[in-house]
Amino acid sequence: MNIGLDQYVYLASPLHRWEPRCKLIGLMALIFAFSFVGNLSILPAMLVVTAAVFAVSKLPVSFMLRRLRYPGFFILAVILILPFVSGSTVVLSMGPLDLRQEGLISVLSIAARFLSILTIGLVLFGTTPLLTTIKSMRALGLPSILADMAFLFFRYLFEISDELRRMETAMRLRGLSLRRFSIHGLRTLAWLGGSILVRSYERADSVYKAMILRGYGQAGRSQYDLRASSRDLIALGVILMVAGGFIAGDILV
Amino acid sequence: MHIPDGILPISVTASGYAATTAITWYSVHKINQKENPREDIPKAALLTAAFFVASLIHIPVPPTSVHLVLNGLLGVTLGYFAFPAILIGLFFQAVMFQHGGLTTLGINAVIMGLPALVCFYIFRLRNIAGKGERMTGAFGFLAGFGGVGVSAVLLLVILLTNIPAELDASVERTAIFTLTLAHVPLMAIEGAFTALMAVFLQRVRPEILVGA
Repeated sequence: MNIGLDQYVYLASPLHRWEPRCKLIGLMALIFAFSFVGNLSILPAMLVVTAAVFAVSKLPVSFMLRRLRYPGFFILAVILILPFVSGSTVVLSMGPLDLRQEGLISVLSIAARFLSILTIGLVLFGTTPLLTTIKSMRALGLPSILADMAFLFFRYLFEISDELRRMETAMRLRGLSLRRFSIHGLRTLAWLGGSILVRSYERADSVYKAMILRGYGQAGRSQYDLRASSRDLIALGVILMVAGGFIAGDILV
Repeated sequence: MHIPDGILPISVTASGYAATTAITWYSVHKINQKENPREDIPKAALLTAAFFVASLIHIPVPPTSVHLVLNGLLGVTLGYFAFPAILIGLFFQAVMFQHGGLTTLGINAVIMGLPALVCFYIFRLRNIAGKGERMTGAFGFLAGFGGVGVSAVLLLVILLTNIPAELDASVERTAIFTLTLAHVPLMAIEGAFTALMAVFLQRVRPEILVGA
């Protein structure tokens, strides 16, 4: 399992340098403002702001295209179906299928919102190491139980995934080949899943002991030495104003 | 199975976040009532990762293959950690694979996490009904079948009532009903798989099944 999300976190751009808490608040506000936009005349402005943020981030376009491919399928399905089933104003009739105006309009706004939100999300998480993002969430008030779980989850996800792959390889080497559906095959796979749970459960014991030995749970000095400069705060103010502008614009227009 | 960004109106995504915050708060509150709440964190985190990985196991169902959701069994094994676990899993899925979405994280967590909690409560009835292998299998099936079933119904209801289509209410109801029926075979596979896994755990490491 290779995610390659932090492939470009060490580029140098204003967005990479932005203090992670400010970046998290600012870009999340922008994302929610975008999800609020429903007015057709505001969509171009939304796409322009998205393109500007993406350009400032210096992330390569190929990175975004690669990441859009998978979620794109779902949106593609919506785009192909909705114009034919939604609405009453028929603009084009193709045999038994009627292309409807209302459906077309909602498809346009869904696609634009989807593209903008995903791009801003990629900028947010592609310009900061994921662990720094979680640290800043913790600093912003995420309960420590969730933050600790998220750290440990991320720490062991890839190891457990490798372990599963090793077990699958071992099963194949011993002659298992599952091409048809059978109760026997299902049981084998369920035992495989069960084994991965048992192994992780047992491993957690030693992980916990090691953490205790290193002082886990003791009050110590804060590990979150995040500091926002006035420049970071000004940038946050500007982005929040842009986000507010979109919401106000959508209500007023 | 997850709702992507851009489809739902903000009223729905905001309510999703509100509900998620409330359920997470309740879960954290319940966890903190334990004698040593920190002790279970590594277990919960590693099991979350293991569930994440195990849900990638593909079951061959010619001509294609399906993968499982396992939220029912996750509820059974993690108890009050289940909802935070699902929230974390969905967050990483949205961030790493763009599967699901950031604005829809709250509503997706409700869709997957609420049934997990329900399964946790149902599976606890095993304490009364008995912990033999048959009972464990039966409750496992119930957890697997019910977990995915409730999730599928929640997902379809939310999608179909909110997709900006001016669909007729009766058409909507029929669509929800038909699509749910179409998921029944998947729910059965999930149930059987979960039952087999629960029996396996009962034999090998019964303490993983929390209600035990």
